[in-house]
Amino acid sequence: MLYYVPDPTTAFSSTLYIFQKVSYGRFLETIHLYTAYAMIMLAFMHMMRGYFVSVYKKPRELMWIVGMGMGFVTLGFGFTGYLLPWTVVSKSATDVGIGMIDALPPPISNLISFLVIGAGGDATEILRFYDLHVVVLPAVLLVLLALKMYMLEANGISEPVTGKEITPEKKKLIPIFPDVSLYLLELAAIFGSGMLLIAAAFPLNLPPQFTPQLAAQSTPQPDWYFLWIYQILKISVFEGAGLPIALTLVTLIFVILVLLPFIDRGPDKRIAKRPLFVTLGIIFVAEVAALAYWGLITPGQIIPVEQAVLVLGGLALVIAVVSLGLFRLISSRANKRLPTVQGPKIMRAAEIWNGVAFTICAAFGALTIGGTINSAVALLLNGFDQANVINFLSSLAFLSVCVVGTTYLIYRSDLRTGMIKRRVRAFEVGWKVSMEDD
Amino acid sequence: MTRETVVPARRVVILLLLLQAVTTLFLWTLDALNEISEGVFALFLAADLVAFAMISYLYRHEREDVNPSRTWIAVGGALIVVLLITSLMLT
Repeated sequence: MLYYVPDPTTAFSSTLYIFQKVSYGRFLETIHLYTAYAMIMLAFMHMMRGYFVSVYKKPRELMWIVGMGMGFVTLGFGFTGYLLPWTVVSKSATDVGIGMIDALPPPISNLISFLVIGAGGDATEILRFYDLHVVVLPAVLLVLLALKMYMLEANGISEPVTGKEITPEKKKLIPIFPDVSLYLLELAAIFGSGMLLIAAAFPLNLPPQFTPQLAAQSTPQPDWYFLWIYQILKISVFEGAGLPIALTLVTLIFVILVLLPFIDRGPDKRIAKRPLFVTLGIIFVAEVAALAYWGLITPGQIIPVEQAVLVLGGLALVIAVVSLGLFRLISSRANKRLPTVQGPKIMRAAEIWNGVAFTICAAFGALTIGGTINSAVALLLNGFDQANVINFLSSLAFLSVCVVGTTYLIYRSDLRTGMIKRRVRAFEVGWKVSMEDD
Repeated sequence: MTRETVVPARRVVILLLLLQAVTTLFLWTLDALNEISEGVFALFLAADLVAFAMISYLYRHEREDVNPSRTWIAVGGALIVVLLITSLMLT
């Protein structure tokens, strides 16, 4: 802050001055970048850990929402800080991000433009980003942190997920200062020494300065933590006029995450008792990682929608089948009812065919989800003409068939293992005879 | 806590404090604009932080009247030695 000048003409040169002339300047810049990366990664890991062990459930709903707010501020730090060195990489990527704001509905885009970019022009933009990075966002983060600490004191730390109720008599209260603080300080020191090691091993080099000519030759790509969003926006169906739909989808993911305490309202916190949400969580982490890596290796390439559906749908399908299969195994072991293939030959054959049909059905399901999204976007963009409507309705019909078929097959296999809670007689046609034969 | 475990812990703390004082003094002698010095600076600082974590660990255990783990102390000590040797090799 003492040497950096937030102006398009001096931002790069002042950063270069810090690198070359200021004592330990390069080292400070390196450690600043790597700890920022670590903060984003740890915030994501903290969020997902909270998701899997249900820390957001009553009475800590508001803590989750405040934590999500802190997560957004952390991403804001990343977005605003990335522009400040005014390198060709940072400026081009930020311009792409800002360009997306225009795709939002006018009142929202006007508001964000007013807050983030100002009256327009590079000078206002970098000054706004600098102010946000060093004044506004730290202030917001401090307020949210104080709020979260207050709620932590009020609600206490989330109990370990053991399935047994911990009585107030059994709870051992440990004061935050000095007991917990000292422990955290030790962890912070070890973490800090790890970051210093990384900074010593991989010192930072400043990319070239931004010029319109250099920018025209380079492919803009955001930093790694925004790559998954960047990859979604690169799917062919979301190109051009489809951009607002993609942005709406991404926003929807964040809205669902924020409102999670009001969506997953089940009382059980144990991972073993929440197969649906745990599976969805694993799928989310895997999709984010896959999209980020995919974005990294395909800079600037438009991804055909069929390819995206195959990769993302296939990944989700594999994880869903493996995860739900494991849950069934754990659950049936817990109930002392192993879903082993027993009984006469006809039953074993029926189970194998059931498994094959389920896999085919689920694979077609993943494809038809992609087809339905594709046709829905085409319908919204090109209007309700006959071809688009027929395309959309036929995709929807295929999807419905796949959903009903998959549900039917799950039901059949559950009937075999005796895990059915609610009977659907219509789904038992033909199966009852086999059961009686067994 | 028995006297046998308290005395070595305190000796370790004194050693670590001495090490921190020496490394801090050494850091002032480095050329702050040299790229290799930046690496040495980072490694010495990392060793200092590990030493600080060990001191806090020993203090916390003495305060709670619990024996500190000798394994953790050995791991911390080994880490400091490795960091210092690496930084000296860089110089």
